[in-house]
Amino acid sequence: MDFLVVLLPLLPILSAMFIGVSFMFNGQASDEREKKTAFIARGAITVMSLFALMLLAGDLFGLNSDHYVVGEWLINKNLVVELSFITSGFTVVVAALFAIVLAIVTRFSTIYLHKEPGFVRYLFIFSLFSCGMMLIALSGNIVLTFIGWEMAGLCSYFLIAFAYNRSVAVINATRAFVTNRVGDAGFILGIALTFVYLGTTSWLELNSNAGELSVTLATEIALCFAIAAFAKSAQLPFSSWLARAMEGPTPSSAVFYGSVMIHSGVFLIILLQPLFEQAPLVMMLLVAVGLMTALYSFIVGLTQTDVKSSISFAITGQIGLMFVECGLGWWELASVHLCAHVVVRGYQVLSSPSLVFNGNGNPMLPVSPMVRHMRWLYNSSLQRFWLDPIIDRTLINPTLDLGKDLDYFDTTVVDRIMGLPSSSVRAASSLVQLENKTRAEESPLAIDEFVRSNGVAGKIFEWAANIMGWFEERLVLKGIGIDMVDMGRQLGHAANNFEKMLLKPIYPTLFGIIVLLIAASL
Amino acid sequence: MGILSILLLIPVIGVVVLALIPREKASQIRYMANTFATIVLLLSCWLVIDYNQLDSGLQYYEHFIFNPKLESAFALGVDGLSLPMVVLATLLTSIALLASFTITSDIKSYHINILLLEMGMLGVFLSQDWFLFYIFWEITLIPLFYLISRWGGVRRHMASLNFVLYTMGGSIFMLVSLFAITQHMPEHAGTLMSSMSAAAQSMPEDKQLWVFLGFLIGFGVKIPIFPLHGWLPLAHVEAPSPISILLSGILLKMGSYGLIRAIVMLPEAAQVMQPTLVFLALFGMIYGGILAWRQADLKAMVAYSSVSHMGVILLGIATLNFTGLSGAVLQMVTHGLVAGALFLLVGLLYERTHTRNILDYSSLVRVMPRFTLFMTITLFASMGLPGTIGFVGELQVVIGGFQQWGYLVVFLGLSILISSAYAMRTAGMLFTGPVKPQMREIEDLRIPELLAASILVAGILLFGLWPSSLIDLSAVTIDDLNAVISQRLQ
Repeated sequence: MDFLVVLLPLLPILSAMFIGVSFMFNGQASDEREKKTAFIARGAITVMSLFALMLLAGDLFGLNSDHYVVGEWLINKNLVVELSFITSGFTVVVAALFAIVLAIVTRFSTIYLHKEPGFVRYLFIFSLFSCGMMLIALSGNIVLTFIGWEMAGLCSYFLIAFAYNRSVAVINATRAFVTNRVGDAGFILGIALTFVYLGTTSWLELNSNAGELSVTLATEIALCFAIAAFAKSAQLPFSSWLARAMEGPTPSSAVFYGSVMIHSGVFLIILLQPLFEQAPLVMMLLVAVGLMTALYSFIVGLTQTDVKSSISFAITGQIGLMFVECGLGWWELASVHLCAHVVVRGYQVLSSPSLVFNGNGNPMLPVSPMVRHMRWLYNSSLQRFWLDPIIDRTLINPTLDLGKDLDYFDTTVVDRIMGLPSSSVRAASSLVQLENKTRAEESPLAIDEFVRSNGVAGKIFEWAANIMGWFEERLVLKGIGIDMVDMGRQLGHAANNFEKMLLKPIYPTLFGIIVLLIAASL
Repeated sequence: MGILSILLLIPVIGVVVLALIPREKASQIRYMANTFATIVLLLSCWLVIDYNQLDSGLQYYEHFIFNPKLESAFALGVDGLSLPMVVLATLLTSIALLASFTITSDIKSYHINILLLEMGMLGVFLSQDWFLFYIFWEITLIPLFYLISRWGGVRRHMASLNFVLYTMGGSIFMLVSLFAITQHMPEHAGTLMSSMSAAAQSMPEDKQLWVFLGFLIGFGVKIPIFPLHGWLPLAHVEAPSPISILLSGILLKMGSYGLIRAIVMLPEAAQVMQPTLVFLALFGMIYGGILAWRQADLKAMVAYSSVSHMGVILLGIATLNFTGLSGAVLQMVTHGLVAGALFLLVGLLYERTHTRNILDYSSLVRVMPRFTLFMTITLFASMGLPGTIGFVGELQVVIGGFQQWGYLVVFLGLSILISSAYAMRTAGMLFTGPVKPQMREIEDLRIPELLAASILVAGILLFGLWPSSLIDLSAVTIDDLNAVISQRLQ
């Protein structure tokens, strides 16, 4: 029954394509089209979940072989990327679980978003996301997993910015997406290292050959994947994106951040169990990060006043515990924990709006007397331990500065060399400058009517006076005097800019990195 | 501590005292500043009385080595060349303070700056050591920069920057020249003017020329020699009137004073450069005069007339003979008094009407008779009318120039003609003509202003009628300097 596995990612992507193409040809929103779209998406994902259950049943009855290869996607000398799927064990269980949750939430969404603008868009993205999740869960090849991984991330970006006319939503979406890209960098590096050290991009081969790797190499690879997992599962220091991600519509929050996507990090770790067992240092790191995130989430969660953020911190806390379990080697426990958490949390987030409604009037539970009087803790908790400002200060602002500097270089040096017309904004960058310029052009010298004489001598005199006046004004006053001051000012500005640039920490850091790279390459 | 040190110290004490007075007590600050300036003025007057006119050497000489490594000394002294300048400086500072009653913002720092400026100017004229001279020369820039850029007119920032950049640029050349001379000094000879003078003689001819060129640029910016005068119109027009008085009255003289000292040090080079100097002097005279004639702005007119008059001084210096040098020194005093008086009166007029355009004025004689009297005398002096001090200086320069170059001085006559053209026109346009309604309600000079103006005008008339008192003061020294020059030139 292995062939079923192909249908699992195929069905939702067909649904997405169908919705997308029909939307391209007719963008009019109508009840009829909403019904049709809902039918397609719901149908495709429900069928997908049935197939997933069948695949699970097949695995339970021993009808599946270990994996199923569809074909080769990319061959380049040694680099072979197969379209392969894993069809047994934990992945199938997770795939079935995810598929069921997705099917339920699709159903929920069609009702929840009834008559909302963006209904079609939502279901399109949702279908695409289902495909991505199936790829993550079932893919037998690292590259294929990464494709799913990216699809999920992209869909997450789209859905956080679902209300794209609100700038906060867009900013939060970008922030979440960029944070995830940091993890993606780890993932890509992991792929590359796996290929370099083991010559393969298959999960199964990686796991079976992990035992042969030295501890150092295993640590390197495992560390890369661990970073990817931390980012995707919103562990420290990446946790802050999750609270921002709650911006999207509730059903999408439930499925992305409550139950399905957020667990893909832990899932990745569980999938790579043999590799991680080879790298004790990374296991310790998992424990440390998981424990810290759990603590962090617990403390910050105590002071959250809206239901979605308090749930989001509960999620990261629980997932932190899963990482701890993985790190301690309790893989079974982590797996069970994952599955249970998917179900419970999915339900909790879906019902969070009514939770507020139902729980209205219930008294708040008092915090434990131990922490009741720790004001600094309360403050830190309210500020979420300043995680966002710290990241802004250390990473985002220097990057922005670098961008500004490069832009400055571009407009003042490159554009001028290329002879591009400079923007009119820059020509008179401030009114004050313009005023100074005109003021400098105002002549302190005479009005011409004043200089009138009669007679031959008088005319000669007048003529000489005008020539000398011109000479004085143009050369002596303006050419030497005023231009000298202006030029000095320009030089001073240039020197100031240069100095400012030198003082930015980013340049010494960049310099250090370059030196290190050169030293390493030698 | 000698009298000259005390002379230098009093403005410094004044600064300290002013610093202790709270800034709200405006009248107290003015009173104290005026008191200190008056003390310095009286002291310098006493110096004139006590000064031995028959002694050509340095008097009241003080010597104290402050930098044993370089043997730079705190050496002060006066001779017939610097004494008139010292008195002029103290006199004009007092007058500038009397004219400062209209300054109302930041009075405390304004007066502190003026006293500092006085100290710097006195230091320049008193110091007998080139490096001390250089230090005082640069010190004057600091208060002047603030005075122009804080209390000046609309374009004050540009003017003050321009002024400082020009002067600094010039003084770098001067400093390089000084260093070039020290290369030829014997060990531990110090940097006294007299010893450096001796060292300069031992330099090779071509090097002397370069050194002299450096001095010419350094002092020429300050005099100013055409074409280094670019800072002057801006700075004079934008500076507040009391500062314009000091700028044209004394600061310009620092340049010509230094140039005379440099020429005594390097007469051979000066003789080589003589044609250039004469050309620059004559051209600058006519150039400044024509531009002054072209100005409708009263202050700019006075500023350009300064360029013209300083050309006369340069011509006198360039003659390298006794009559010319004596005329130059006389003309320095003349210009100090005349330009000071002109700026004072124009400033007072501007404060009443808030316009400097001469076309806006007419028929002032009806409302301001006292002002008219003083202004007319000053304008006459500026065109060199006999009976005023302006005549004496110009006459001597003409004679000195005639001895040297013959009929070339006809250009000096031309420049005097031009100066009478603009002076007469100014007088005519200010005081005669139809009565304009906005010129009907102007207050005449008040008591302190009257005091200030009458001192200057009295000086103009007194020395015009009795010039020998002034000539005798510096005659022996100039004779001595001339003897040094002519001895070296043979």
